[in-house]
Amino acid sequence: MNAHRGPALPARLIVHALVWGLALTMLVPFLWMVLTSLKTDAEATAPLSAASLLPSRPVFENYPRAFEEAGLARVYRNSLIVATVTTLLAVSHNALAGYAFAKLRFRGRRLLLACVVATMLLPIQCYFLFAYVFAGRLGLVDNLQAMIVPFLASGFGILFMRQAIQGIPEDLFDAGRLDGMRELDLFWTIARPAAWPAIAALAIISFVNAWNAFFWPLIVTDSPEHRTLPLAIAELSAGVYVQSWPVQMAAATLMVLPLIGVFFLCQRAFVRGLTSTGLKE
Amino acid sequence: MGFLAFPLAVLLVFTLIPTALGVGLSLFQWTGGGSPRYIGSMNFSALLDDDRVGAALRNSLIYVLATVPLTTIAAFLVASAVHARWFRGRAAVRTLLFLPTIVSIVAIGFVWRWLLNDRAGLVSPLLRALGVAAPPRWLEEGPWPMVCIILVSIWRQIGFCVVIYLSALAALGASVDEAAELDGATGLRRLRHVTFPRVSRTTVFLLATGAIGALQVFDIVYVMTAGEPTRASTVLNYEVYRNFSMGSLGFASAIGVLLLALTAMAGALQFARRRGAAS
Repeated sequence: MNAHRGPALPARLIVHALVWGLALTMLVPFLWMVLTSLKTDAEATAPLSAASLLPSRPVFENYPRAFEEAGLARVYRNSLIVATVTTLLAVSHNALAGYAFAKLRFRGRRLLLACVVATMLLPIQCYFLFAYVFAGRLGLVDNLQAMIVPFLASGFGILFMRQAIQGIPEDLFDAGRLDGMRELDLFWTIARPAAWPAIAALAIISFVNAWNAFFWPLIVTDSPEHRTLPLAIAELSAGVYVQSWPVQMAAATLMVLPLIGVFFLCQRAFVRGLTSTGLKE
Repeated sequence: MGFLAFPLAVLLVFTLIPTALGVGLSLFQWTGGGSPRYIGSMNFSALLDDDRVGAALRNSLIYVLATVPLTTIAAFLVASAVHARWFRGRAAVRTLLFLPTIVSIVAIGFVWRWLLNDRAGLVSPLLRALGVAAPPRWLEEGPWPMVCIILVSIWRQIGFCVVIYLSALAALGASVDEAAELDGATGLRRLRHVTFPRVSRTTVFLLATGAIGALQVFDIVYVMTAGEPTRASTVLNYEVYRNFSMGSLGFASAIGVLLLALTAMAGALQFARRRGAAS
């Protein structure tokens, strides 16, 4: 038997070259971005040659300029507030709603659950218009709350938590009920620890989504002081505030690198979290 | 029940009711001020005559048909290679491929736009060095803007699909290898006839969710080309946004209804397949 036989050596080498080649292209844009941010304007726009691939002498002035000219301090603050607050509140609300759908019996449960599933399938361009109208009535226009409140519950988050909590044995909850625990205690002392991996996964999904959200923030914000990172990048891309390519790339580096850094530090959690949509076969 | 009140209110106010009203608004003419005027199906007949919407529909369908199957099949092949016992550097490859998934599409479009810049970018000078005399102006000429948007999208999404396939392959365990051994199947034949059928549920999941996501493409178009030149790379969602910005709200809603119908078809694909597998 040849249970461990694979393809012949030349074939293996070709497959390795192709797959590794593809994997390395994932770094190219980001390396290029960092390299360009260290060049002078003249170097960056000169026709590319083997000699001009690397900056002749790294220039770091582009970074403070990017911070100033693109107003990055403010943008950073906004993105951090929006992503952090959204994550904390959305995970809590989705987890509680998921718990209710998983473990509580009440009238209309199936109908409500169907409504929740339906929201998952609807494309945002079918509802953003009246969502915007309602947001206006609620004072949620052109401020940070406008980018937080509509995301405090999501069909995906609720179903995801429901699925995680459903798997917890019913006996645990019955024992708690006999001890006279209220539903919130049951959630906190039994469901929360048992569903912790799912909660962590949902937190990562929520944070990345909020950090990268573009369409809705584009609709609800007008004034520059409420821009988040993706809006600022789009403006950079259109050359609104900054014309210099190296300064644009320095700004882009400052925006993209923190998340990439966190990703490399805890990539297992990221990969597991962001792909948990598809893991259930 | 108290747990549900706020989350359900959010979904109701920001998703469900707006969708219903949006579908209704497709039968009206409205600029945002005053009251909407009922015009029956006129938005929809205008939709059929509108050159921009026609181009957007064509481009959106091309985008779905080009990105989704290619990404899925390429991801299956890559995942099979990475999953093989003889593959070296599995963890590193997985991390690298997954990297663009966490970076915002806006940032990715922005950086690629520069890589594709004719003079100062990376792609065209490289091609010139390799002997291509006159590489096209990627984001300005002929079919290239759509081609670039499609390739960058595949590049960004492949890692996500690879990771999903890898977990499906891991779940299959050794049984596949044994079955293939009995069949005497090797190499690509084995991939096609033994492994591929066993991950079909993953494939259908990736195709359906991929198609639903691809129909909604917006960010990358907004940043890379803004639909230009002369609507060569516009897509449905970009036209929704454009008409919204111009105050043609009824017309924007009608395009939204078209998108909803297409999305429902893509979703039905998955359910139909699931039912078929169940019986």
